[in-house]
Amino acid sequence: MSAKVPRNFRLLEELEKGEKGQGSDACSLGLDDGNDIMMTNWNGTILGPPHSVHENRIYSVKLHCDEQYPDVPPTVQFLSRINLPCVDPTKLQCLGNWKREYTMETVLLELRRFMASGNNKKLPQPPEGSTF
Amino acid sequence: MALPKRIIKETERLVAEPVPGIQAIPHDDNLRYFDVSIHGPAQSPYEGGVFKLELFLPEDYPMTPPKIRFLTKIYHPNIDRLGRICLDVLKANWSPALQIRTILLSIQALLGAPNPDDPLANDVAQRWKEDEPGAIATAREWTQTHAAP
Repeated sequence: MSAKVPRNFRLLEELEKGEKGQGSDACSLGLDDGNDIMMTNWNGTILGPPHSVHENRIYSVKLHCDEQYPDVPPTVQFLSRINLPCVDPTKLQCLGNWKREYTMETVLLELRRFMASGNNKKLPQPPEGSTF
Repeated sequence: MALPKRIIKETERLVAEPVPGIQAIPHDDNLRYFDVSIHGPAQSPYEGGVFKLELFLPEDYPMTPPKIRFLTKIYHPNIDRLGRICLDVLKANWSPALQIRTILLSIQALLGAPNPDDPLANDVAQRWKEDEPGAIATAREWTQTHAAP
């Protein structure tokens, strides 16, 4: 069995990946409060996927990693208004099948994939830049 | 879960022959994850404080160094706001011949000898160079506020 990385060191890895610019170009992540030693609250952005109504839009989200992360997924909340089936209107419910190896970046990229899928890429959207 | 012999031996020795002023206790549910406390060295601004840290031995330890950070807030030019430590033996100068015990001693020594020329917390390092007595006074205050035993 492989070593189980504890929550705090896992979050540091995720932070450092962003600091070193090794993350995905399609999303970004940062600590909400750079003094928060427990690294609980994060700000993220998702670049709207191409060939969809979301293209060229930047969506802001808040992520919350409680003490059980990454055994349980972070909670995610959109700050930017968006018309997406799982956004109700600010709490997200489309993050099933969580695995411990997943990261906050996985969540952001999964949301982005969801925005580009099927009917979601054509849904009418609120004015760009509006917030919940 | 098969824990490498090396880790078992190090842990046993840490318990049987503890280093003065340093404690490291593995978590029951993750034997690679340690709760650490380090007493601030005498004659340093951290004297009288007990600092909590967390330490994790990654999968490929001892080929890669332990990961370690402070959980107690500390005013020190080589320790940042999230408790991350700038110390050569935790990075480029790591060797598998080093151990948890030697790393913890190095960190205790770093508390006694801050090095503002190789800073991690830039604002703290700058203050350390420009106003050393002021910086030391702040380090003392933070020790009393955050690291009271």
